[in-house]
Amino acid sequence: MTMTKELFAVLLTAILTNNFVLCKFLGICPFLGVSKKFDTALGMSIAVIFVMVLATAVCYPINAFILVPNGIEYLQTIVFILVIAALVQFVETVLKKYLPDLYKALGIYLPLITTNCAVLGVVLLNIDNNYNFAASIVNSLGGGIGFMIAMIMFSGVREKMENCDIPKGLQGLPITLIAAALTSCSFLGFTGVVDNIFKL
Amino acid sequence: MRSEIIKPALTLLLICLVSTLVLSITNSITSEKIIETEKKQAETARQKVLPKADHFELIGDDEGNEVYAGKDASGELVGYTVAVNDKSYGGDIRVMTGMDVDMKVTGISILTINDTPGLGMNAKKDSFLDQYTDKTAGSAVCSKNASGDEIQAITGATRTTEAVTRCVNAAGNAVKNLTEGGN
Amino acid sequence: MADNKKCGLGHEFTKGILMENPTFRLVLGTCPTLAVSTSVASAIGMGIAATIVLTCSNIAISALRKVIPDKVRIPAFIVIIASFVTVVQLLVKAFVPALDAALGVYLPLIVVNCIILGRAEAFASKNSVAASALDGLGMGIGFLTALTCMSTVREVLGSGTFLSGIKDLLAVFGDVQFNGFTIPFINSHPMTIFVLAPGGFFVFGIMIALANYVAEKNGKSKAELKGCGSCPMAATCRVKEEVGVS
Repeated sequence: MTMTKELFAVLLTAILTNNFVLCKFLGICPFLGVSKKFDTALGMSIAVIFVMVLATAVCYPINAFILVPNGIEYLQTIVFILVIAALVQFVETVLKKYLPDLYKALGIYLPLITTNCAVLGVVLLNIDNNYNFAASIVNSLGGGIGFMIAMIMFSGVREKMENCDIPKGLQGLPITLIAAALTSCSFLGFTGVVDNIFKL
Repeated sequence: MRSEIIKPALTLLLICLVSTLVLSITNSITSEKIIETEKKQAETARQKVLPKADHFELIGDDEGNEVYAGKDASGELVGYTVAVNDKSYGGDIRVMTGMDVDMKVTGISILTINDTPGLGMNAKKDSFLDQYTDKTAGSAVCSKNASGDEIQAITGATRTTEAVTRCVNAAGNAVKNLTEGGN
Repeated sequence: MADNKKCGLGHEFTKGILMENPTFRLVLGTCPTLAVSTSVASAIGMGIAATIVLTCSNIAISALRKVIPDKVRIPAFIVIIASFVTVVQLLVKAFVPALDAALGVYLPLIVVNCIILGRAEAFASKNSVAASALDGLGMGIGFLTALTCMSTVREVLGSGTFLSGIKDLLAVFGDVQFNGFTIPFINSHPMTIFVLAPGGFFVFGIMIALANYVAEKNGKSKAELKGCGSCPMAATCRVKEEVGVS
């Protein structure tokens, strides 16, 4: 019971209070670059969720059973980034061969994800926070869902902005960032929500 | 076809080997220094929260919290320091508490904190930390509207204040358990 | 790449600082820019760490550019960059522990900072060692400058201090007493929103608008997020053709 409760708290914290994009600034490049249309935002987010969970599922055992017992934690960064790069390539190949429909929908976003700091970030944060395997997976899932919510919300904001009369100096990137600031403000409202739900 | 696969693979393998070699050399040079730095930092933190002490001795640990006894130059016991971990708003928090032999807090110091800048991070300010001085470790109380002996919570960061207070109290209990159980 | 040679090595160095500033003009490395710019001290630390990694990896990649097969180019670059990041990380842990604590997970995340992989792919893999070294140094200093500008605004308005915590960073050079300035009035009435997440986006937006203004005055084009244009993975990725991202 307490275990479930704890995992649920980790999930909600990752989605709302510690949203990867809007609070931790991880994965800003795709957030600004691929959020112009709802469809692309959704596709990218699903690919990110998938890779984040998979990367955690692979990196956690590597860290716990190979790196830590041998005292070579200093290789973490290099091993994880290589594993993520290889994993992305592998998933792409598998999808292309066996699930061409899914590949058509998500495949094009996969190469972008290798250098998405949210993926390496979540793997490193799980280790920093001393999460166990279940909590790591849940945290990655929550981080991914948080990323999706941020992307989708922001794509809505940007679609509305298309028709606005924006001062000349702010057109383009500046107004996008200011809109991101306002979107991020909305997430500040979740401060303390999770703690009070679970009375941690 | 074959050499097309083998050559890139070998090159990549070679690059990986060289990088690992470079890293293991760097690690062997820095690892001692890192441990030494951490020790020195802990020593400085102990000194800061228990200024009267001249040197510190590890007297044991209570549920993983290591208790150090602070002694002055003549070897007389002047107090204890304990570093305790807890969960705060932004993740782990680690607080070093110093107390005299009567369990009165002589000072606290935050070793690790990952809270929101401008809110929870205000816990690092002296104006907040000094509130704990002279409170009894083990029975410190914090509140949003503090009265009397209570600790005034940081605006917008009640959770952080609570975590710090729990750390201070846990430190007091650890000392109590060790000294009473031991003697 | 004949163009680059004509312009001379001095140009390779200076372009990164102003006209091709990686943060404000090329809009690369946004994650660390937003994340660590809450205090000037940690921003400077981040800038220096990234500059060291960028310069070293540019030199290494440029020196190996004829040896690395095109097929495994990206993984090879990533390994080289990751090694330098880890070396810097270990050195920081050993000698400037305060910076390690301040940067946290963003220190190892220099690996995926697009400035570094971007310069490796766009410049170092095609140019001489000397030019790549200067390019890396210039881009790194440009990143450092941008971070310092951002963090100055955020720290002064958000916390009412300037260079607070610099003492811990300078501790590596001995015991320094100087620990930054306190700005009167703002310090007692800080606009906390500036050090929170929304303030980061907001200040960055205003900074880009200013950079655009200066660039337009000098007859250069505006900084546009090219979506994939500036992304180091552009060569291997087809999002642009198939979806037509902004």
